[in-house]
Amino acid sequence: MLLIFLLVVPLILAAGVFLARDAKSFGVVNALGYCGMLIVSALLLQEVVAGHGMLIEWHFLVADILSAYFIFVIAVVSLATALYSIGYINKDIEQGIISLKKAKTYYLFFNIFCFSMFLVPLVNNLGLMWVAIEMTTLVSAFLVGFYNTKRSVEAAWKYIIICSAGIIFALLGTILFFYAFSLSGCMKSLNWTEAVSTAGSLDPKVIRIAFIFILVGYGTKAGLAPMHNWLPDAHSQAVGPVSALLSGVLLKTAIYAILRFGFIVIKSAGFAYFGNLLLLLGVISLVISCCFILIQKDLKRLLAYSSIEHIGIIAIGLGLGTPWGFLGALLHVFNHAVTKSLMFFGASNIVRAYDTHNLHSIRGAIKTLPYTGTMVLLGMFALTGFPPFSIFMSEFLIIMGAFSKGAYFIAGTLLLFLVIIFGAFMYRFSEMLFGHLPKNRVVQKEPLSGKLAFAFLLVLISAAGPALIYFRKDLLCLVQNLLTL
Amino acid sequence: MQGLSIFGLLVATFLMVIAKRTPALVRSFRYQSFFLFLATLVIALEERQLNLYVVAGLIFALKVIGIPYFLQYTMKKINVREDLGLIANTQISLLLSLGFAYLSWIFSKQLMSSSETTAILPAVAFFILLTGMFLMIFRLTAMAQIIGLLIMENGLFLLASAVLGGMPFFVEIAIFFDVFVSVVIMGFFVYRINKLFTHIDVNRLSRLRG
Repeated sequence: MLLIFLLVVPLILAAGVFLARDAKSFGVVNALGYCGMLIVSALLLQEVVAGHGMLIEWHFLVADILSAYFIFVIAVVSLATALYSIGYINKDIEQGIISLKKAKTYYLFFNIFCFSMFLVPLVNNLGLMWVAIEMTTLVSAFLVGFYNTKRSVEAAWKYIIICSAGIIFALLGTILFFYAFSLSGCMKSLNWTEAVSTAGSLDPKVIRIAFIFILVGYGTKAGLAPMHNWLPDAHSQAVGPVSALLSGVLLKTAIYAILRFGFIVIKSAGFAYFGNLLLLLGVISLVISCCFILIQKDLKRLLAYSSIEHIGIIAIGLGLGTPWGFLGALLHVFNHAVTKSLMFFGASNIVRAYDTHNLHSIRGAIKTLPYTGTMVLLGMFALTGFPPFSIFMSEFLIIMGAFSKGAYFIAGTLLLFLVIIFGAFMYRFSEMLFGHLPKNRVVQKEPLSGKLAFAFLLVLISAAGPALIYFRKDLLCLVQNLLTL
Repeated sequence: MQGLSIFGLLVATFLMVIAKRTPALVRSFRYQSFFLFLATLVIALEERQLNLYVVAGLIFALKVIGIPYFLQYTMKKINVREDLGLIANTQISLLLSLGFAYLSWIFSKQLMSSSETTAILPAVAFFILLTGMFLMIFRLTAMAQIIGLLIMENGLFLLASAVLGGMPFFVEIAIFFDVFVSVVIMGFFVYRINKLFTHIDVNRLSRLRG
């Protein structure tokens, strides 16, 4: 029942848009709906962890620990985004940027987008998972091109074309995986629950080739360099709240898909193959994103490149293969999702107040927007891996995993680039937040719903770190179960 | 019979490589889809699988009739220049695609690792896939990119029917639905691009850099 609930609520909310009279009250209903979703996903996670098993509904929907965890991450970010949207969209209407009808379109696509993202970890069938991921692209393209300006339509076009072409390779990979299954004569359905039990008897040669296509295809969607070109455009041009969804969870659904196939590869072709490929892409992402972060002049693009960096860190953690590294990478998925959402909300507020994306023209943001400014400052420290916050913990685990495996080169590279990126962020953000305030700026009022979203995310960012230390043994146990499957 | 459809698929694909204008490309896409339909039908007759008949029917309805019609309709509606904007001229494109054909043959023989006859259809499928990707990169208009994507998908459908006798039924239906929706959405964006920029030349979409 829990699984069906998770899929039905976004659809009901999407249908409810047509009955809505004004944007603000619908926004509140929307946020309440996602509040319910968060509770249900927490229940689901608790049930799966306590029962150590899977929930299956009609062979079609399935939830094991991995999917329940990703669903929880999606639910957290979509609740924060739903909260933040209330104030954001309302202000757009007040300023006459969009009409009520357009605001309704926003909520319609928002809900379908969330539905498609919840569908990805829930479907049992690897082919349908492909369909769900392609659906996320198609729906979110409308949210990227929402304002219908030259820049946003250009970004939406690049997004839809690059991701669709990339995902064709993922379909090719899926077909080859299916071919490997049919060669071994075990399976006719592409269901995950069957796939993982027969994975040992597959032809490693076909699986190796197939996984390259999977990695290129879903890696494009995950924003792994060098297939990342769509990402900065789409993230910087999307509607403010949607940037957070794109960066926070859309990329993670693709990581989820890579992991699902990864488990089959680990079982049939050995861990080293899977691990080395992910390490390679992770390091490339780290290097490329670092170069662009250093020269970046656009606030939202800066954050987008930082997403590529963090996806790279996740890939490195997964590729290491030590339990600590794997645990660190999985926790990084959550930590990056909440922190980056907070940063994108803050960036959207700042961009709107100053009416520019250019970092050189934004000065003294903490005086213009005291609340947002403070949150962005804290978020900046969290994002760059400053100690009490959660990202520090997961990065620490990944580096620890690298040392325990003896991968000193990887650990060293990771540390070096983290330090460089930390410096770049400090420089950019201190100018932006504390620089000399232009004369004609006044302190702006911020909507309550936006403040709530910030507070919700900040609590998660600060609480996840200590909670992690407290539960480290149980978590490690869960990850070891996952790795041996 | 299968020989005829393979021959048709190859001819249609080479016609696409040397096409200079969008209507010619759409027309060749229609031919290619028709031969894909034939190939799938032959496999369906050999394997006696109901779902392959359905897939063949869907290919005919969507890819031979529906999508080409929709593309022609969009072209007429936006009324732009019909040049495809070739980055590589037809001779070089043709030479490269011959190279692709050879590469796909080698790759397919490696992958299938059984007799040469079973490797032919997958080789054609990989060839179509590569050509589609080539057209997406080396042609400048947004329309050409959509058609390139559709060609790549044709290659995949051929591969799925040839090596697997089709994907599981509901997966295949979902993929078909997805393809159709994506073409409609991309058509919608082409329409918007043309309205905002008064051209559909993707090389000139360069506001977002760095």
